[in-house]
Amino acid sequence: MINAIRAELIKMRSMPGVWVTFGLALPLTVLVILGVLAGAGGFPGHTFYFVQTLRQRRELLGAGYFGIEILAPIVGVLCVTGEYRHKTITTTLVLTPVRTRVLAAKVSATALWSIFIALLTLVVVAAVALPWNAALGGVTSQLTDQVGAVVPGLLVSAILLGLFGLGFGTLVKNQVAAILLTIGGTLILESLLVALARAIFHYNLNWLPNAAGAALAGDIARGFGGGGGREALRLLTWWQGGLVMLLWGLVPLTIGYFTTFRRDVT
Amino acid sequence: MTAGTPTRGLPIEFSGLSKHFGPVRAVDNLSFTVEPGRVTGFLGPNGSGKTTTLRMLLGLVHPSAGTATVGGRNYWDLENPSSTVGAVLEATSFHPARRARTHLRMAARAGGHDDARADEVLELVGLTGDAKRKVGGFSMGMRQRLELATALIGDPDVLILDEPSNGLDPQGIAWLRDFMRYLAGEGRTVLVSSHLLSEMAQTIDDAVIVSFGQLKAQGTLEQITSNLTGLVMRARTPEADRLCAVLTEAHIAFRRLTHDEVAMDAVTPEQVGPLLASKQIVLYELTHEGADLESVFLSLTAGLGFGDVAAHE
Repeated sequence: MINAIRAELIKMRSMPGVWVTFGLALPLTVLVILGVLAGAGGFPGHTFYFVQTLRQRRELLGAGYFGIEILAPIVGVLCVTGEYRHKTITTTLVLTPVRTRVLAAKVSATALWSIFIALLTLVVVAAVALPWNAALGGVTSQLTDQVGAVVPGLLVSAILLGLFGLGFGTLVKNQVAAILLTIGGTLILESLLVALARAIFHYNLNWLPNAAGAALAGDIARGFGGGGGREALRLLTWWQGGLVMLLWGLVPLTIGYFTTFRRDVT
Repeated sequence: MTAGTPTRGLPIEFSGLSKHFGPVRAVDNLSFTVEPGRVTGFLGPNGSGKTTTLRMLLGLVHPSAGTATVGGRNYWDLENPSSTVGAVLEATSFHPARRARTHLRMAARAGGHDDARADEVLELVGLTGDAKRKVGGFSMGMRQRLELATALIGDPDVLILDEPSNGLDPQGIAWLRDFMRYLAGEGRTVLVSSHLLSEMAQTIDDAVIVSFGQLKAQGTLEQITSNLTGLVMRARTPEADRLCAVLTEAHIAFRRLTHDEVAMDAVTPEQVGPLLASKQIVLYELTHEGADLESVFLSLTAGLGFGDVAAHE
């Protein structure tokens, strides 16, 4: 199993698409840092100000969430659909013929890569947000004392969002379709469905992936990166959100395994 | 296995193997054994089920019935598959952005082998100078070599090659031939599928011939060709068209060689002489030729029911 994971990691490391997601995490995190500092209030004539409320402090520390929300599912999709796109699935299954082992290795590799992205965003926060916030008049402890409240949610969200992408990638197999389904589906279709459910049925549609992820991530998902209708939603509790996100990953993964991944490779 | 051959290979056994894709019988009740220390040619026309058979052996395709084992075990049950079996299946299964060495390191890690093994196999297949190049820029021949390097990453006891000479230049084909002989000489089991008969005739010790997914013949190259030796007739006649019609009517397989020459497979002079005389066909020449692998192959795969004269009688 360890061998299969090591092989998956080297595969991901040599996929340009995966490095693109890594590279995009940096500007997206800086963008959110800018947004949080701009929205922190302050004196007239000052564009940026140091964070003041508890929620602002958490949003600043978890500024990477917005990027992770988009990029981690893409990593998951690339991890499995790349095999079919480039026909490398044949080599993969010859080297590791037990298919459940291959899929488990992909889950692990996607989780690790999602964690790398989350850690990268935290490095960006430490390098950009901390000194900038301090320069604006804040103190370092405003952010550091929220590590326990933010980082676990950020990491678990990253893992489950990656699993979500992997699940749909396994189910759909076509790379473009899987990316459209996971990213387009959560960012556009979900917002539409939530609005329609509220307007027509007065129903609080809070168990779709984006909303479930926001519930798990907590405060960091509600500000700049998480606006878009979530404010009006009554989110699930963090553990309910985590459970639902887990299902959004495991259910398509399981269906995909039985309907697609186990199929003959001709 | 010949006396004195090192014994490091494992037998491959196919038993009642079948695969149906809907109504199509790609492989139909195939049973044969491939012995270690020999190069076995798995021969058949395009679409005869060779690739499907090899993919069933490797667990890529699920059989409808039967088993395919390596050393008595299913491929997916082997403790370390890449150390037991190396497979060259298709030269297109590479990520184009991946460098040759990275691809091989990935394969090495999947099999639990040392990274240094990647450089060893690159040297073995003559790609050391291209180790840092991206596979997307490789020619078909280079991809074939890289695929072979991937198969050798675990120094396997069994080597399975599906049409490995596709895309190789004559030099590459000659190199591959020597390489397969060298591996078999070490006692490994080498099973190679191909439809390039002239090439195979120079390489293989044993042959398995399939057509429409069914076994037509199995044995050593000598056994298979000798079974048809003396049974190939060549006729020169000004009435070649009429001769062909007569042969078709008599269910005798034939090949039109030139405008006035026809080769007839699996017939004796005693059979064909009276037949042509009774039809009053003028003959300039009726000669008796020894069969080669191509003759055997064509007679067995023509779909005319000559399986009953094959070596597996």
